[in-house]
Amino acid sequence: MWLPFLGLIFGLALGLLTNIQIPSMYENYLSIAVLAALDTLFGGIRAQLQQVYDDKVFLSGFFFNIVLAAGLAFLGVNLGIDLYLAAIFAFGVRLFQNIAIIRRILLIRIDKKRHNNKKTPVE
Amino acid sequence: MQRNMYTRITIVLFIIGLMIAVQYNTMQKPAERDTRDIWAIREELAQEKQRHSTLLAEIRSLQEVVGRYEQSEKVNQQAALTETFNRLKLQAGLTEVKGPGVILRVEPAAELIAMGYEIKEISPDLLTQLLNELFKNDATSVSIDGNRVVQTTAIRDINGRTTVNSLPLSSPPFAIYVGTSDFKAAQKMYNSLQASTFIDSFYLDNYKLVIEEPIEHLQIPAFDQPLTNDYLAEVKKGD
Repeated sequence: MWLPFLGLIFGLALGLLTNIQIPSMYENYLSIAVLAALDTLFGGIRAQLQQVYDDKVFLSGFFFNIVLAAGLAFLGVNLGIDLYLAAIFAFGVRLFQNIAIIRRILLIRIDKKRHNNKKTPVE
Repeated sequence: MQRNMYTRITIVLFIIGLMIAVQYNTMQKPAERDTRDIWAIREELAQEKQRHSTLLAEIRSLQEVVGRYEQSEKVNQQAALTETFNRLKLQAGLTEVKGPGVILRVEPAAELIAMGYEIKEISPDLLTQLLNELFKNDATSVSIDGNRVVQTTAIRDINGRTTVNSLPLSSPPFAIYVGTSDFKAAQKMYNSLQASTFIDSFYLDNYKLVIEEPIEHLQIPAFDQPLTNDYLAEVKKGD
């Protein structure tokens, strides 16, 4: 269960300790890629909570979203249209929605637990 | 199956973490780029070369001293010691210096007095800046209004009066004597002072800075107060 978090911490530590940097011209792409990755991550958590999680969907969504977002940003730069704003908007809205759904599911679960706990002593 | 899923999610989270960390690094500490062009690098190289040659000259002079001591070990050690002593005294500014140099005169600007401007004390900052410029142009000895400038000289405002070595400057006009190593250096000093903005800076304070032509024989007085050194200690024999 804690393995994924270990992975996250290990990735953060590796990045911070090795002090890897990317050229400033690619900053935009990376920021959108990070947003896409976060969106996929929260989407995955939501799916898991709703019990519709599919490994293939998650993995393909992760890589596909990142590539799509970066590609959109690249296209936008070359066409002179700020297409990366579309990606930020789409991912941002979905991120908030996913987090809201996760919150509600968790709240319902907590409520259920309390309800059960109250009921048991009476029985 | 379950285990496989966790491994994949771990890898994905690892990638996310790495991406966030790299993004954070890039935003927080942008790598300093070397933006010097070939001229800036050449200039820096020239500065280092200059330092190199100064250090070499110093080494040579010290080696000469060592050689002299070694030679005179049998003949006359006292003469060598006296010579070193005199040289150090000269360096410290405790002896009168005669040689080529430039005279700067600081006078109140006549036209401003006629217009009714009040002439205030000359600011210590301006004098300090002028001194820095003089030493930058290879001045070897400087006296301001008869006060020799040495390592410990302070130019400051004491109760509204500008002082050098804690002695107030006489009211303008007064002269600043600048000694140089040779006449060529004096000429260079004259030219660079003429080209500098000091004449304008002094005029802003209602003063006129007159830079006289370099002369061959300039007499700069010795530092006449006791030289205090609070931080130097005598080295014990054998240390």
